Amino acid sequence: MSLVEIKDLKVHYPIRSGFWNRVTDSVKAVDGISFNIEAGETYGLVGESGSGKSTTGKSVVGLEKVTSSSIMYKGKDITKKANRKSLDYNHDVQMIFQDSLSSLNPRKRIEDIIAEPLRNFENLSKDEEKLRVLQLLDIVGLDADALYKYPHQFSGGQRQRIGVARAVATNPKLIIADEPVSALDLSVQAQVLNFMKKIQREFGISYLFISHDLGVVRHMCNNIAIMNRGRLVEIGTRDDIYNHPLHIYTKRLLAAIPETNVNDRAKHRANRLAVEEVYREQQDKYYDDEGKAYPLVQISPTHSVALPEDVAKELILKEGEVQA
Amino acid sequence: MEENLNKHSNISAADLDRLTKEANEEATPSSAKIIWNEFKADKPAMAALIIIIAFIIFVMIASLFIDTPKMMETNILNYNAAPGSNGFLLGADTGGRSVGQQLIVGARNSIGIAIGLTIISSTFGICWGLISGYFNGYIDWGMQRVYDFMMMLPMTMMIIVLVTIIKNYNAVTLTLIFSIFYWEGTSRLIRSRTLSESEKDYVAASKTSGTGSFKIIFHEIMPNISSLIIVDTTLSFAENIGVETGLSYLGFGLPLQTPSLGTLIANANDPNNITQYWWTWLPAALLIIVLCLSISYVGQVVRRAADASQRHGAAD
Ligand SMILES: Nc1ncnc2c1ncn2[C@@H]1O[C@H](COP(=O)(O)OP(=O)(O)O)[C@@H](O)[C@H]1O
Ligand SMILES: [Mg+2]
Repeated sequence: MSLVEIKDLKVHYPIRSGFWNRVTDSVKAVDGISFNIEAGETYGLVGESGSGKSTTGKSVVGLEKVTSSSIMYKGKDITKKANRKSLDYNHDVQMIFQDSLSSLNPRKRIEDIIAEPLRNFENLSKDEEKLRVLQLLDIVGLDADALYKYPHQFSGGQRQRIGVARAVATNPKLIIADEPVSALDLSVQAQVLNFMKKIQREFGISYLFISHDLGVVRHMCNNIAIMNRGRLVEIGTRDDIYNHPLHIYTKRLLAAIPETNVNDRAKHRANRLAVEEVYREQQDKYYDDEGKAYPLVQISPTHSVALPEDVAKELILKEGEVQA
Repeated sequence: MEENLNKHSNISAADLDRLTKEANEEATPSSAKIIWNEFKADKPAMAALIIIIAFIIFVMIASLFIDTPKMMETNILNYNAAPGSNGFLLGADTGGRSVGQQLIVGARNSIGIAIGLTIISSTFGICWGLISGYFNGYIDWGMQRVYDFMMMLPMTMMIIVLVTIIKNYNAVTLTLIFSIFYWEGTSRLIRSRTLSESEKDYVAASKTSGTGSFKIIFHEIMPNISSLIIVDTTLSFAENIGVETGLSYLGFGLPLQTPSLGTLIANANDPNNITQYWWTWLPAALLIIVLCLSISYVGQVVRRAADASQRHGAAD
């Protein structure tokens, strides 16, 4: 059994208007997606900005009121508040936010910030609590003198470490990491990703790793879901996604990974332009009449893509020829 | 325990004390500190602040030594006594009552009502705005309709009607009646800031940390909008002095036997008083002008302190 099973998640934001505040329309931020997160693995959720990744993450951690769905954890549907309460759900499932500055209350000391989940979920004495906070700071590589400082006294990378320390404080089973390194410099990105991996090994944590950049996800995730306009367009292992992408949207994301090798720049650029060309010309093949992605079809035990069956078969054949 | 601590960090208890002190020095200066620095940098504002505080303390203490019922007794012999005559420093009014004493007791009453009104209406408005802004959804919708309804009522007319209906009222009931109508502005202001503050991730983080709604509202969000609260409260106070004096002037404020700055200014309704017996109304009018100007000047400084880009004083 998977750690968390998300079935047909839908989050529609109503657009209200008029004196009676009636719902007149809705924004379909997430429109029917399903995936499972296994214990101890890192599951990647990738898509461009506005595709509904954060909304998905917030739904899984219980911050978002979902329109319809079941999210099963320990046999209970945690989209219901009562079930989250009875499970102490957020003791086990925590979140790291993209904007490290806004995710730390500017009026609180680091000690109080990291201790917050401990105070709510665990009954520790003052000394035990302080010890735990010191240990957490140590784990994320910050000195003990951070304890009494305020968030604005730290750099972006350090603040994100504090965010991670808070998320792992209660020793959770799953952490939703919503673009945890997007706001950081490249050099700092690698550091933060590395100690996230270290913590995962030591504590056996699963991550739902959200990113708009397939380049970052490559080093973190075993399984990846590609999200586009509130739906999943491709699911697969790292090998499936990076080496055998089928959906044009996945190919676009891959082409958008910045090329660091100077010699390959021209080739990279040509490839990107070619993919854009296909995307422009063949939109109607990859999306239905309303511009929505098709339902997923399975093409191998690990690999699914959102295409009509015949188009998928045709594409696989073509890929095979190219490879051969 | 001790051992464990030492294993995980090479910092001792003594160091922690030192670090606490260092952190306090480096901490984001609190709103109160920032505002104080701003006053130190602006001498006229400091003067205004001292005038206000000294005056309030003076009237509070001095009025304790005045026997109001006796002071309000009519004494035809002192009819419009000029300042300096018959032992009246500021003269007497048409009823032969000391203007100086009435000024002290009247100022005490007017300021007292303004303070009471500010405390009640701001507290209520702040709580209303915080709760309404935090729980957007049906709670917010319902609370906003109540707000709209209150805003629809013609405020001054409602107060006059209530004051006329209620037979026996005094300073306390009057303050409560005013309070019903003066929390709305504050609540709207606080609500809009709370809406944007609630969107920030630290609120989401508190939710996933298991902190309850009311603790989030009053311990996480409120400290972050404290400067706005201080500014709004100061400016409301200046406004509220005008509320009671205005109505008393019109004859719908405090009962006749209770002097207020408004009833003193109402002496100016008599043409004779305006031209000949100026001492019956001019001191009260000047007092209100000085007081309101001082308070709104102080309000300006507080507002400037809250708005980081306009500060005159050093940051910390
Ligand atoms: N509270 C909200 N009300 C209305 N629309 C929203 C709200 N939150 C997000 N959206 C919309 O939902 C879509 C998905 O947003 P989001 O999940 O933040 O995307 P991502 O994290 O992938 O950038 C966007 O189009 C966004 O405008
Ligand atoms: Mg996002």
